[in-house]
Amino acid sequence: MSKLLSTFSARHLVFLAVLLAATVPLLLNIRLTHTASDETKRFYANINSLPSGSVVLISFDFEASAFAEIKPLADAVLRHCFRQNLRIIGLSLFAEGTALGEQTLSRIAIEKGKTYGIDYVYLGFRPQYTSAILAIGESLPKEFPTDYFGAATAAMPVLSGVINYDQIATVISITDGGMPTYWVDYAVTRYHARLQTVLTATMATSLYPYVSSGQIQGLIAGLKGAAEYELLLNEAGGGGRGLLAQSVSQIAILAIIIVGNVVGYLGRRRKWQ
Amino acid sequence: MISRLAWIATLVTGLFMVAQYFIKTDATNAVYTTLLDYYQIIFAVSMIVGGIGLLKQHSLKVQRSSQQRRYSLITIAAILFMVIAAVIFGTGAASPYQWAFNNLQAPMQATTFSLLAFFVASAAYRGFRVKSAPAFVLALAAVIVLVGKSGFGEMVSQQLPAIAGWVLNNPSTAAKRGILIGVGIGSVATALRVILGIERSYR
Repeated sequence: MSKLLSTFSARHLVFLAVLLAATVPLLLNIRLTHTASDETKRFYANINSLPSGSVVLISFDFEASAFAEIKPLADAVLRHCFRQNLRIIGLSLFAEGTALGEQTLSRIAIEKGKTYGIDYVYLGFRPQYTSAILAIGESLPKEFPTDYFGAATAAMPVLSGVINYDQIATVISITDGGMPTYWVDYAVTRYHARLQTVLTATMATSLYPYVSSGQIQGLIAGLKGAAEYELLLNEAGGGGRGLLAQSVSQIAILAIIIVGNVVGYLGRRRKWQ
Repeated sequence: MISRLAWIATLVTGLFMVAQYFIKTDATNAVYTTLLDYYQIIFAVSMIVGGIGLLKQHSLKVQRSSQQRRYSLITIAAILFMVIAAVIFGTGAASPYQWAFNNLQAPMQATTFSLLAFFVASAAYRGFRVKSAPAFVLALAAVIVLVGKSGFGEMVSQQLPAIAGWVLNNPSTAAKRGILIGVGIGSVATALRVILGIERSYR
């Protein structure tokens, strides 16, 4: 036993602590009580304020690696948009997000009883995101003459009257990276598009300057953002389920930092002596 | 000569793209949208070139009898499978391409990304040592944001999430904005250097 223990380094113990912190809470059916933050309330209010039939362009700009964190956020926002009877135009500027975006949009649309081509459409992937964002500003029908499945978009009721960003009530970039900065640079600055973003928690900090400047009108991030949005929607989802696991993991990392400092201090004191 | 032609093309295109932002006519719009189309076409073709380059590189690795040849074989097989499956069966929901994406690529990427949590924790254990006043401020900010933005923030204190929000919206945003302004000025300078032919990476 002592031989086994001696083979464990501090690194192994750190890994074990993180593993337990991330997995054990998932097995417990406990939901943390919390309230929605101001930024989540602002995003929710922005969607709520849109009249029925308004067009929302949702860009699924993420990779498969971040899907576990993005999925509850995307689900909650899509549920809200469909509940408000908004027309949804889905697309992806990341090759890998294309299939996941289509699956997510279709799943929630079916759940809400929406019809393809009338209530929503999925336009698929366009390479080179800067030129795709700019091209939508010039003419969306020209940029996307067919949808993801190869059907002509011209006669689709969901796209009726949509020419460029002027007819789009809000653009929502669902992302795990810095894609909203490109939407700000090319869609907001040049075409005055109204932008909101849904993203992983780690990326939120880098986008706060755009939120405070008003270039991004709403932002929700991470599993906590998803849990808060589900609270406002009054619908259970993956955010509430994952919040405990993420929060326990955060506290575990905090404990690891404290232990690291204590160990470091004791080591330094031993040296001084 | 070719280098000079490339520079002239860069100069003309660069100056046109700047000018068309301010001068909006049907003619400039037509050229602008055509350029956007070409931009996407060139990017799509570059992806094919990249794929062929990757295949070539791994084929060379397979020919050399190295210990890593099995990984190169797996890479080649994966690339060929995805391309052939997409060409023959399409990329629809029930296609082999989609099956491989959902059941192989997505879980593998998620697994690799999940490892990040372990490395972050390990790095925090070794690297977050408070040895000076700036290190203390950094650690304090990290603790406030970590707890304040977690699900336990409100349980610890009703004010903690608001304090965490203040840290993110004020000192953090101020620093980030400074970096962004610097990046913006740097981007303009680099663009001017490319347009004027001072920076010629294509030479």
